[in-house]
Amino acid sequence: MSELQSVSDRTVRAIQWGMGGAIVLFIGGIVIWILHLIRTAWRLTDVPSASIGISLVAIPVFLILLAVVLYVFWGLLGDRSAR
Amino acid sequence: MPDATFEQDAALFAPIERTGRAFYWTVGALLLLILWGAIAYWVQFDEGLGVTGLHQPVSWGFYVTNFVFFIGISHAGTLISAILRLSKAEWRRPITRMAEVITVMVLFIGAAQILVDLGRPDRMLNIIRYGRYQSPLLWDATSISAYLTASTLYLYLPLIPDVAILRDRPGKRRLLYTVLALGWRGTERQREVLNRAIAIMAVLVIPIAVSVHTVVSFVFSMTIQPMWHSTIFGPYFVAGAIFSGIAAIIVAMAIIRRVYHLQDYLKPIHFRYLGHLLLVMTLLWFYLTFAEYLTGFYGNEPEEMKVFWSKFTGPFWPFFWGMVLFNLVVPLACLVRLGRHAVGRTVTASVSVVIGMWLERFNIVVPTLSNPRLPFPEGQYWPTWIEGAETAGSFALFILFYVLFVKLFPIISIWEIREGRETGLKEVEERLLSYLPGRSAPAPPGVGGREGHERAPIRL
Repeated sequence: MSELQSVSDRTVRAIQWGMGGAIVLFIGGIVIWILHLIRTAWRLTDVPSASIGISLVAIPVFLILLAVVLYVFWGLLGDRSAR
Repeated sequence: MPDATFEQDAALFAPIERTGRAFYWTVGALLLLILWGAIAYWVQFDEGLGVTGLHQPVSWGFYVTNFVFFIGISHAGTLISAILRLSKAEWRRPITRMAEVITVMVLFIGAAQILVDLGRPDRMLNIIRYGRYQSPLLWDATSISAYLTASTLYLYLPLIPDVAILRDRPGKRRLLYTVLALGWRGTERQREVLNRAIAIMAVLVIPIAVSVHTVVSFVFSMTIQPMWHSTIFGPYFVAGAIFSGIAAIIVAMAIIRRVYHLQDYLKPIHFRYLGHLLLVMTLLWFYLTFAEYLTGFYGNEPEEMKVFWSKFTGPFWPFFWGMVLFNLVVPLACLVRLGRHAVGRTVTASVSVVIGMWLERFNIVVPTLSNPRLPFPEGQYWPTWIEGAETAGSFALFILFYVLFVKLFPIISIWEIREGRETGLKEVEERLLSYLPGRSAPAPPGVGGREGHERAPIRL
């Protein structure tokens, strides 16, 4: 019974970490997309300063959101006293 | 043995644990409307945008109106909830969750309007591959992505303790609740983490929310089209968004209160306070509208005046004066003196504002495009059944999302209500003492320093 319980716990934990990973991928994907747009503008000399200017505001916002997500997942799931 | 705290808040668990026939009827009716919208979209996808009323020069109609309207409504939640949470307004407790849910749901629906507006949705990929940051449309895509991420996080974090309560109760959907609870046991460390994260998000989400609607206004004001090229469009849009957001919360509160018998949680005092905020926003919205039209009128530029008069006395007069009636006259008549009928009057004013703000968005988008600055022929816009069906489908989809959320999760934050009962009174007293001159309240445990009270974290 306890073995079953632990298997189920492991599955739940895997799903939870998977969920965290998906959020990291989503936010990370947006940051990479913004960087790709800067690179494209740079390559085509298509006013890269505009892309860089907007990105200077946008990227830190996404990075802060990413940091909050990691902090919460790490803080809640990593708390051994809760198990 | 029955749990005493559960018995006390049994009404909050009822929508999750009991499913009446009305639920299935509602979902069925909403699905029919969504199906109607989906059929309309399929016809548009198959035959092209020619089946809609969109043409040159009016290439934006109902879809962009809906987009601006829904993004505006999204300010209901996160912004208002965050402001009330940060200012420690105790009456916020039963309201915050339903406001946050509105935000997340309408953001999805609002962003989807742009996809619907594209005759070829596959061209969305071009934005990902070749997007140019010189275009305010791309600023919009970026800021809405940030807002959607932030508001989803801001909805989820305070939901975790409630999901854990559901996980620990016998019932259905245990796996879902176990996964979403993220191992929450309410330990000191977990509380600290969650408190800090909610506090960070509450601060972060306010500038993001303001930036989103400012950026939405840039889509119009960065052009030199008559009556769009305006420096106050940013604050004008933000004020309109908060205005329609408050109205949307009040309408949602009234429906939830009645349908789920939550009169004990959503009291007339909540409607009264939100009614006062709505009154302030009515006057602010009127002032900004007045300023916007006054500057155009004073400049007396021929192209501007064509649009101006088309709204005042021309073909768009029913929309313009309808907007004035629903956004100013009715709310003022209802809200100036609430009296004993606070709930009825506030709800009437809110329904009126929701209609009025949709008209306001239409008045911004369509009349300018009908009278373009460039020497295109002028044109009128007559929506077809396609736009009507997709608009109805979009509203139905929003309501369906909301109904399903209420079926799965507590729409009123249970832990915040319990916290209010258990520690709220004492905290308010301590806080009040700390505000008054010549008195000092003891710092809460674990918080040191002379200014410890101000730095106290949000307590779970």
